[in-house]
Amino acid sequence: MSGKMNIVLTVMLVGCALSVVNARYQARHLFIDIERLTQQQRQLEIDWAQLQLDQSTLGKNERIEQIARSELTMTPLSPARTQYLTEGGK
Amino acid sequence: MKAGTQGSRVAAGKGVAFSKSPVLAVRLPDWRSRVVLFVLFAAFIALAGRALWLQGVSNRFLQKQGASRYERTLELPATRGKIFDRNGVVLASSLPVKAVWGIPEDVKASSPEKLRQLAELLEMPQAELLKKLDSDRTFVYLKRQVEMDVIAKIEKLDIDGLDTRKEYKRFYPQGEVMAHMVGFTNVEDVGQEAMELAQQKNLVGQTGSRRVIKDRLGRIVEDVGLSREPHDGRDLILSVDSKLQYIAHNSIKEAVEKFHAKAGAAVVLDVHTGEVLALANWPTYNPNDRSHLTGEQLRNRVITDTFEPGSTLKPFTVALAMDKGLIKPTTLFDTGTRPYMTGGHPIRDTHPHGVIDVSTIIQKSSNIGTTKISEMLSSQEMWEMFTKVGFGQAPRYGFPGAVAGRVRPYKSWRIVEKANMSFGQGISMSLLQLAHAWLIFARDGDIIPLSFQKTSEKPVGQQIISPKTAAQMRTMVEMVVGPGGTASKAQVAGYRVGGKTGTAQKVIDGRYSQTRYVGNFVGIAPMSNPRFVIAVLIDDPSGVYHTGGSVAAPTFAALAANALRAENVPPDSTVTDIIIPEHPLEESN
Repeated sequence: MSGKMNIVLTVMLVGCALSVVNARYQARHLFIDIERLTQQQRQLEIDWAQLQLDQSTLGKNERIEQIARSELTMTPLSPARTQYLTEGGK
Repeated sequence: MKAGTQGSRVAAGKGVAFSKSPVLAVRLPDWRSRVVLFVLFAAFIALAGRALWLQGVSNRFLQKQGASRYERTLELPATRGKIFDRNGVVLASSLPVKAVWGIPEDVKASSPEKLRQLAELLEMPQAELLKKLDSDRTFVYLKRQVEMDVIAKIEKLDIDGLDTRKEYKRFYPQGEVMAHMVGFTNVEDVGQEAMELAQQKNLVGQTGSRRVIKDRLGRIVEDVGLSREPHDGRDLILSVDSKLQYIAHNSIKEAVEKFHAKAGAAVVLDVHTGEVLALANWPTYNPNDRSHLTGEQLRNRVITDTFEPGSTLKPFTVALAMDKGLIKPTTLFDTGTRPYMTGGHPIRDTHPHGVIDVSTIIQKSSNIGTTKISEMLSSQEMWEMFTKVGFGQAPRYGFPGAVAGRVRPYKSWRIVEKANMSFGQGISMSLLQLAHAWLIFARDGDIIPLSFQKTSEKPVGQQIISPKTAAQMRTMVEMVVGPGGTASKAQVAGYRVGGKTGTAQKVIDGRYSQTRYVGNFVGIAPMSNPRFVIAVLIDDPSGVYHTGGSVAAPTFAALAANALRAENVPPDSTVTDIIIPEHPLEESN
């Protein structure tokens, strides 16, 4: 009886030991994943900041005005040649 | 190991072995072996004791030593907060860059060709690079804030003793347009000017740290112990509108060039919220390249400079008298045809106006008329009015360097000084204070606090004059811009605007200069439902024109026209073509 018990316990012990090894292995893997993803997140944040900067630089009013005037030969709007439509008016 | 194992000592050979000789037989005393045994035993005990000691009792030191061989503390950098305008356009943002540093001795040892390439990549003359390397120290910064693509090229050169360190660089995409609003930081990422300085505490991030175990290849294997999360600096949303700011910047720049002025400044306030929508100065600077920065460029004339506004202050005297019920817009005053003597000093108008009503006093900007109105008021009443709208009071704008201006205590006012102050002389303030005070006319007589940050809540105002007086004042200042007023050049096609000009002689060496002026204009637009208060200042125009009506008023008109269009404000006037009289009326001062 006690011999059987011992065998059962031994099997259980080995099983537990193996599952610990497995869990440990999984944890390492997950850890590496999270590290990689954090790194990626940081890089994306930098890219985002860079793109925001680019947008602001390219969207500079000065640049838009210059291009509008010289390349597209546009002129500013004046009320004298604007038709205003009011809601409900005729 | 017992002595006297004679068998083994028998030499193999014939005859008598010498060791057999009883004379030669060595007899070791028994106690010697016991001593050896005891010493060995004691040594083992000592070892075991030591092992126990190290393992069990004094284990901290060794654990620390061990940990330092595989554990590392990583510093987790935090980014400085970004600055946005009210519409979400980035005005300032930090990006990671690297500082290049080296150990001079090792770097110098590399080939001259490599050093030449390095100098080229760092954009500095080779001589300067060599000078930096000519140092006894073991750590020398060669260049800070080098961008990443350059770093990649430098790393390819593979120079011994050269290394990089991570840091951040602040970028200002809007450049000189926003310079006076946003400010800048130094290489250590610490705010130096304007909002960068004012909001330093909120913008700066908190670096974190974590302790990790690294494997042989330097990869992180595990976290150990506590880690401190890094906290990025808070983002800041300013009240400024980059479109309006650009318009203000351009108008001021053009005006300074056109009127050959020394400098110019403009500020645009939102009437409903008290937000500063634009704040422009000329000359200005590029915050991204500050190598040739001068004090003139840095100077923020809207906030840190005071000036005597001149006639732009008259409406306050008139409003006070009207609010007290002493006068009505139609009350007549005889301004005469000659200088008016008060307290033994003459007060002059540029043109004789004769008998005119209060509206006309404002419209034609009569000094004599305003003096006569001020005679109905006590010094204390005037002082209280000035103080309540913020003149001479330390401003709480949350902007570094804001000045209080100067209003002397009313008890020391002489009669002529009181008269002078009624039309804006002998009292000084910043352009922002002046614009702020004008909110009482644009609003229904109350004043609200200014804000440099975008606000969503409705500000609580403090009533200064009655809504009725404010409305009457608006009608009067609209006449100033109309034909016959001093600021007909301030007209804007399609919109009703109003405002008041001011020309002050500059104080040079303690005296009023007769040739150098500060022209200014404060206006409200559009009149039917005020949206903006716009104040313009042109400092020392040296061309043909120098009065507020001829230099600041047209600048206001250009600024207001574009601002109203940019903000999609519907026109409230049918006048689409402006006729400006050939010789507009000159104001008195």
